Amino acid sequence: MFRFTPYVLKSLWRHRTRTLLTVSGAAVAMLVFCFVASVQQGLERLTSNEDSQRTLIVFQENRFCPTSSRLPEDYARQIAKIPGVRSVLPVQVWTNNCRASLDIVVFNGVPADKLQHARNLTLLSGSWNQFKSQRDSAIIGSNIATRRGLSVGSQFSIGELSIKVCGIFSSPIPSEENLIYTQLAFLQYTKGVDSVGVVTQHEVHLDSSADPDEVANQIDASLRTGPVATTTRRKGVFQTSTLSDLVDIIGFAHWLGYACVGLVLSLIATTMFMSVQDRMKEHAILQTLGVRPWRVFRIVISESLVLCLIGGLLGTLSALSILYFGGMAIGAEGVTIAFRPSVELAILGIGLSLAVGIIAGIVPATQAAWMNIRQNLSS
Amino acid sequence: MALVEIRNLTKRFRKGDEVITPVLELDLEIEMGDFVSMMGPSGTGKSTLLNLLSGIDKPDGGSIHVDGVEVTRLSRGLLADWRAANLGYIFQTHNLVPVLTAYENVELPALLLPMSSSDRRKRVLLALEAVGLSDRANHYPRQLSGGQEQRVGIARAIVAHPKLVVADEPTGSLDAETSEQIQVLLGRLNRELNITMVMVTHDSDVAAIASRQLRLEHGRIVEGTGKANGGIGNV
Repeated sequence: MFRFTPYVLKSLWRHRTRTLLTVSGAAVAMLVFCFVASVQQGLERLTSNEDSQRTLIVFQENRFCPTSSRLPEDYARQIAKIPGVRSVLPVQVWTNNCRASLDIVVFNGVPADKLQHARNLTLLSGSWNQFKSQRDSAIIGSNIATRRGLSVGSQFSIGELSIKVCGIFSSPIPSEENLIYTQLAFLQYTKGVDSVGVVTQHEVHLDSSADPDEVANQIDASLRTGPVATTTRRKGVFQTSTLSDLVDIIGFAHWLGYACVGLVLSLIATTMFMSVQDRMKEHAILQTLGVRPWRVFRIVISESLVLCLIGGLLGTLSALSILYFGGMAIGAEGVTIAFRPSVELAILGIGLSLAVGIIAGIVPATQAAWMNIRQNLSS
Repeated sequence: MALVEIRNLTKRFRKGDEVITPVLELDLEIEMGDFVSMMGPSGTGKSTLLNLLSGIDKPDGGSIHVDGVEVTRLSRGLLADWRAANLGYIFQTHNLVPVLTAYENVELPALLLPMSSSDRRKRVLLALEAVGLSDRANHYPRQLSGGQEQRVGIARAIVAHPKLVVADEPTGSLDAETSEQIQVLLGRLNRELNITMVMVTHDSDVAAIASRQLRLEHGRIVEGTGKANGGIGNV
């Protein structure tokens, strides 16, 4: 089966400049494709996980940016009385940029004693006790720690905020790893935030039997008579709504991903076409020696596959490495989408490379396999 | 029974409005171990006959049997299998694969046959030894002289132990001295290994090494000479 492998590899090596250019083109295109796919995956993970469907966000009515939503902190007690509500977490949000940004920094101020139970966070380093006892301490997501080069003990300042890192955590929800958690009071009292007794939003955790939409309606109805009207939505809906501009752009960008795949297809097909045209006589000789047309077909397809697979592997592995070590994220209005490497992404990148390699080789392989031997021998 | 039996073979080509008939109702028999040379002016159908005999072209009429197999009826895939097992082809311009070494070029036809890698290696080394190129096994075609390249081409043609070897102007691109070496080699392979050979040539000196010398004109065999003259039709 692999008897002609040396011939395939040597044929590619014969035109190494062409091979290297093709492989590098395919690698760059697959790198871009994997980036686009990782953003899509990040958005999907953010809006479709169980937490986003079973958790409600209570926000000030008709407000979008975290800085403009100011809800009384004691709404938490009223919300907790509504049937179906298991717990309420008041959250003060501060972000360095309300617009879309690739380096968004989001602080969530929460009651220190509630955070550990409200979130499924795994502390990679540092201590919960220090977080609870030290007012300006913060535990930060591994993604932002990587991106900003922070470790336990680091002092981090941005705007009027200055915190001391006392822990770094990971989370099964990648977007969580872009957050910085501080004590609620610390964030409320920070100069410029000026939010004593006020929070940005209430996060409502439900009983397993509760209907989220029904509870949301009840919350809004019960707070209608309060000083600030609210809009309560599932967390996933809230996040999609908050990121609506980005969602549109990401929706458009997935066409860019397909364009990259098309680019690889065109690049490999062109190279294979040129390669086969250059070697029509060689393929005629092979068939004269007794190589079956189907074997010639497979030889050409193999060349195409090797080119595409090497390029695809390089591009996919580069993208995964950058995503892993880069800690990249995009966000707007306090909600972030994490770019994360994943097994699905690796399989998608490599699988697509395989498929493109086969498709790109079909026409040249057909030409080589079912040529007129006599004419090409005398060419 | 003759190894090769050609009956009433006809081949036509269309060139614009004109129809050319390089082979017309040709009959020929070749016995096992024969060394047949075919001469004749350009365009008389020598190479066409060789291509038909090799199964790389299809006739418009007639039949070719080789060792009892009617090659003119085989599909393209089966013809390839048949060539791999039964036919060696020596080209005028050597036609070695440039990215493969002499060893790998000779090994190509053997890769298509069911045999172990050690048997294959033995056969390749024997074939290279038969053409006197054991010491050039790892050289690439660009590192060989024209004569050495042709000898690699001959080793490639005999490595699968074919029943029939066809040679299309095997000395056509060589100088006189190298041409003579190749002629001696072909004659030796025919005699010592009892390989049946059909050779097309323009050169009467080269044709003279064959045991049967045929002459083609207008698609027919018009003259036959040599030690063994039997089995010639159309004479």
